[in-house]
Amino acid sequence: MFYVSVFFQYMAQYMKTKLQYRADLFVEFLSDLMFQSVNLIFILVVFGHTTLLHGWTRDEMIFIYGFFLVPFALFGAFFNIWDFNERYIVRGEMDRVLTRPVHSLFQIILERMELESLVGGVTGMIIMGYASARLHLEFHWYDFFLFLLFALGGMLVYAGVFISLATISFWSDARSSIMPMMYNISNYGRYPIDIYNRVIRYILTWILPFAFVGVYPSAYFLGKKEWYGYAFLTPVIGLVFFMIAVMLWNKGVKRYRGAGN
Amino acid sequence: MHAIEVEKLRKEFKVHSSRSGLMGAFRDLFTRNYKTIRAVDDISFTVKQGEMVGYIGENGAGKSTTIKMLTGILTPTAGKVIVNGMNPHKEREAFVRTIGVVFGQRSQLWWDIAVQESFRLLKKVYRVSDKEYKEHMEHVIETLDIGPLLDKPVRKLSLGQRMRCELAAALIHNPPLLFLDEPTIGLDVLVKLKIRQFLKEINEKYKTTILLTTHDIADIEALCERVIMLDEGKIIYDGSLQRLKENWGEGKQVQFTFATEVTEEELCALTYDIKATWRKEETNSWVAHVAPLHVSDVISRIVARYDIQDINIDEMSTEEIIRNIYEEGVVHG
Repeated sequence: MFYVSVFFQYMAQYMKTKLQYRADLFVEFLSDLMFQSVNLIFILVVFGHTTLLHGWTRDEMIFIYGFFLVPFALFGAFFNIWDFNERYIVRGEMDRVLTRPVHSLFQIILERMELESLVGGVTGMIIMGYASARLHLEFHWYDFFLFLLFALGGMLVYAGVFISLATISFWSDARSSIMPMMYNISNYGRYPIDIYNRVIRYILTWILPFAFVGVYPSAYFLGKKEWYGYAFLTPVIGLVFFMIAVMLWNKGVKRYRGAGN
Repeated sequence: MHAIEVEKLRKEFKVHSSRSGLMGAFRDLFTRNYKTIRAVDDISFTVKQGEMVGYIGENGAGKSTTIKMLTGILTPTAGKVIVNGMNPHKEREAFVRTIGVVFGQRSQLWWDIAVQESFRLLKKVYRVSDKEYKEHMEHVIETLDIGPLLDKPVRKLSLGQRMRCELAAALIHNPPLLFLDEPTIGLDVLVKLKIRQFLKEINEKYKTTILLTTHDIADIEALCERVIMLDEGKIIYDGSLQRLKENWGEGKQVQFTFATEVTEEELCALTYDIKATWRKEETNSWVAHVAPLHVSDVISRIVARYDIQDINIDEMSTEEIIRNIYEEGVVHG
């Protein structure tokens, strides 16, 4: 309960800060919108050339991409920890975080909140709407809640992997390029999983489970019964990976060395 | 109850020392040389509730490392730390609610938002009720004279203004123990005075224990009865400032500016029976260090003999005492 109220306090503060820079806000909104529409056109062009891929139609692949954008936007909005090493370890901001009576990871998530990213989620929904109209998909009332559950699960998968990577900074002070690399790998999750060979499929399912951000959950909405088991695993995998990440974090904080003055 | 209890506290850092040259860098790829550095070396001390303690030492002596262990930021390598009856890094979240921390070189406030918004966030984070906040903070804001700054964003404040706000922010939850790491660094004299006066006041009013590190000895003189002096991770002095002065700072300094050049031999010969020691400051300026009893004697002898342009009589400053201690390395008496 305390954490929820702290969350809203930070959120309100975030809005206030953003509203202070009116011009910035406007420009940012415009550029986000433009970025997203370019994205949309790009997808239509790319997928325009393919019709069938291992039994997946063009519209199904567009749907997967649309779905993927939603957990990805949630992740971008709430787990903006790309520069964790730089900002918190090298510059020593972690000192300040550790002198406050709220869990350190939670504080950092709140401080780095980037709600504009949520616009990407809206694009995702539009894409999904477009694809499902062409596929004549039918939805039930409970599908909405499953959608939420799967989107959150996907977000947790992302968060789990990237938080785990951020904790490396506690053990080694060298900066590494592993984050952008992982970002590239994560993109594979938005294509139908059975186009890959078995090893890559295994990796994307159990080790770096990015398939749970795109293909698996979308398979449920596309009515692909053979993938239902994986689809329903999405929130479980999300929770497991997120919990592992939090454990690593708690261990890492004990090793924090601080930055000299 | 003791506010702080530290026993045989130690913190070691493993640092990687790189070899020189290209070949060295290549060898570093395979086998690395690690050196263990003891930043804090088995120190023990206790601080009573309501005490104001100055924690001093040169750069790299281990002050900040100690403070970071006492505040739960760093985990000690060995030893016992009990602060406010708790183990700082084990019960971090419950523990930090009972302390206030100000790092002079690092801001606790949010850069972009108005000061009062930062306060509001901290009030939430520390779970301070509206009533407590009003009672306590109104007074703090008034004494530190930051009322007019509250609606300005932190980035628009001057260093002195910001520091006063930082101090207020550290006190939102009215902690019984306050850690100040160089709170007056880079501030002008007036702000320094205001901050010292404020710290004294809260110490008297709430019996707040204060541990502060500083490079400005005047802070210590104004606030602390007790100093803990650190050198290379070890405590070399722990006791009252008064005693430090008595043991080290006996005697006065008399500074003469001569009209003509003089030599040390001449001066020493003139004052050998009253054991004055001479030190050259500038070309024609010399300082005699003598027992208070002999001050007038020295002056009369010198004035009778030489043409004098200027005379100053000073006490040994604390700064000088401390410099002497560091030069000799140990504390006697």
